[in-house]
Amino acid sequence: MSTDEMVKPDSAVVAVAHRARRALRGLDRRFLPVLGTVLTLLVMLGVGQQRYSTERVDFVSMKLLSNLLVDNSYLLVLAVGMTFVILTGGIDLSVGAVVALVGLSIAEMFTAGLPLPVVLIVGVLIGTSCGLLIGVMVQMFDIQPFIASLAVMFLARGLANVISVNSLKIDDEGFSALAAWSLKFGEGRELWRINASMLIALTVLLIAFVVLHYTRFGRSVYGLGAGDGGAAVNLMGLRPARTRVWVYVISGTCAGIAGVLFALYTKSGFNLTGIGMELDAIAAVVIGGTLLSGGVGFVLGTGAGVLVYGLIQVLIAREGLDSWWTRVFIGVVLLAFVILQRVLTVRRR
Amino acid sequence: MTPTLPAATPATSRGAAIVSEVTHHGLFWPVLALIALLLACGVMSPGFLDVTVRDGHLFGQLVDLLRNSATPLLLALGMCLVIATGGIDLSVGAVMAIGLAVSLTYLDNAPDPGDVGTVLVAVLLGLVVGALGGAFNGAMVAGLGIQPFIATMILMVAGRGIAMLITQGQITTVTSAPFKTIGSGFVLGIPTPVIIAVAAFVLVALVVRRTALGMFLESIGINREASRLAGVQARRTTWTVYVIAGVLAALAGLVYGAPTMAADANNIGLMKELDAIMVVVLGGTKLDGGRFYLGGLLVGAMLLSTLERAVIIFQLPSQTTPLFKAIVLIAVCVAASPTLRAMLRGRRRADRSDAPAAPVETTSAMEVTA
Repeated sequence: MSTDEMVKPDSAVVAVAHRARRALRGLDRRFLPVLGTVLTLLVMLGVGQQRYSTERVDFVSMKLLSNLLVDNSYLLVLAVGMTFVILTGGIDLSVGAVVALVGLSIAEMFTAGLPLPVVLIVGVLIGTSCGLLIGVMVQMFDIQPFIASLAVMFLARGLANVISVNSLKIDDEGFSALAAWSLKFGEGRELWRINASMLIALTVLLIAFVVLHYTRFGRSVYGLGAGDGGAAVNLMGLRPARTRVWVYVISGTCAGIAGVLFALYTKSGFNLTGIGMELDAIAAVVIGGTLLSGGVGFVLGTGAGVLVYGLIQVLIAREGLDSWWTRVFIGVVLLAFVILQRVLTVRRR
Repeated sequence: MTPTLPAATPATSRGAAIVSEVTHHGLFWPVLALIALLLACGVMSPGFLDVTVRDGHLFGQLVDLLRNSATPLLLALGMCLVIATGGIDLSVGAVMAIGLAVSLTYLDNAPDPGDVGTVLVAVLLGLVVGALGGAFNGAMVAGLGIQPFIATMILMVAGRGIAMLITQGQITTVTSAPFKTIGSGFVLGIPTPVIIAVAAFVLVALVVRRTALGMFLESIGINREASRLAGVQARRTTWTVYVIAGVLAALAGLVYGAPTMAADANNIGLMKELDAIMVVVLGGTKLDGGRFYLGGLLVGAMLLSTLERAVIIFQLPSQTTPLFKAIVLIAVCVAASPTLRAMLRGRRRADRSDAPAAPVETTSAMEVTA
């Protein structure tokens, strides 16, 4: 805006600015962190489009999106489960170790000759039981979520090490077929695809969205994050104790599903899988606009957070930077979002 | 740690009261576990409890245990203070890696890595970097008021990347006799790491317990706003605590990495923050903040390294260690939980049937106010 306009403001401009400000104010404050996520996503896509598009291929394409989803489907599922837990003000540190445990268990079960459906279901249930264990410790024994999930993390990692310290290859035919299945669209450089893990991940996201926003259970989850120990939820006739156990069961189940997806992705199980993966999931949730203190957040934001997370890796690879820059950049983005969250929560008071 | 109930039922006898006090002490279960483990190790491996003197140095499995306890003790010392303020420091493992990377990179580029002066500068550099890391955490937590968990997670995620940048993705190895002493030498017959850890422990204990600082920490941990109104400089104190934790983490990194003198940025200190938290919890300090037991850290650190040792002595694959850590952690937490006590006492039957809201929290709140 030039100084002329500042001195003598054009009435039309003022009206537009005024309307924009009113629209922003009318916008629910809860949407602001998610708005930040979407903006970040757009900026990153813009930068990518500017720098890496060639005359023949655009950077922003269905191919990019499908690759992002294929490469990060397990993370999306983990982050969706983590969103439930974080919304209640809890945390689940066990998910990375659970992914490793599930992967190795799957490999071992195939070696034992169990049929595919049984293997997949038992794989997911292993995650469910880990989550149940955390939930029981948190609710019944009043152990902080942090320490309860830490214990289960050690447990899962230890069990994975008991199964095998070597990478176990999965060469079951049905499993390989499932991993290889995909629908292809487009031609040549514009080729993109839909595969099984992507569909599973998106289904999980959709279910989580419906559950969180359109059910009684979802309301209890948000209510638990209010930080009054579930008193308000209880007064509303919802069930805080049961809900608190359930969110960990959900997170564990998601970790089980993610373990299956990761096994599909790598076609093997390995005990060192998933070290630090819980932090990737938490980072994606935070970047997706969910407040770590609980009570505020959107699971679709988590989806956007996972995309931001994946895009960071793509951009760094495209820049030809060493992979450890990824950690630094994720740290920086996390920092930016945490400060944004902080600014928003301060304003709200 | 656990609120000792002001005798709801009058104690039948003095003896019963003492027994009850002992079993309710936060350290009862950890000490019991430690003694049981040590005895079990002694039975399995007959020479385990022997300590011999060779060349004026103490040798033996117990001495090794003490040496191995040094790193978790140093980390837990800082972690305990941070937890006392109601915080948590997830970045200690990454700070270990950064500190060691800086020290060894400096030594690597120095003309004479064997020179004592050079080593001192390298150590100092490592510690200063640790302090910087702590200052960053402090700025986030005390300055911006961000939850400690997420604030320190940023350095945890980025820190390892930074350490990799410092070592340029290589494993920097150096040969320097004085530096190696930090990790595997002896002073007065006692392993240097033990001396360093105990010295740090005594220093912190004196500062915290002989000055008002410890009380400030606890008051901040209980109610930050109230303590600020009462004139405690909550912000500055919190900041200081994170810096101390950072310096101690860097020191732990030096002690841990000195024997091999290899800065493996990817693996040094990996998951060590969790070991540190475990030591604090085993030591009877609750993660809620507000109260802390430094003495418990000694037990916790010993318990952790004894556990790691026991796995080997029992001829189990060392990769199964996390499993046993989990079992001990769960057992100690559940044993210390008020719910279990209540269940054992046979009260609160009604609450177990999923009835009203969060029975445990409300009760503990009542216990505190009572």
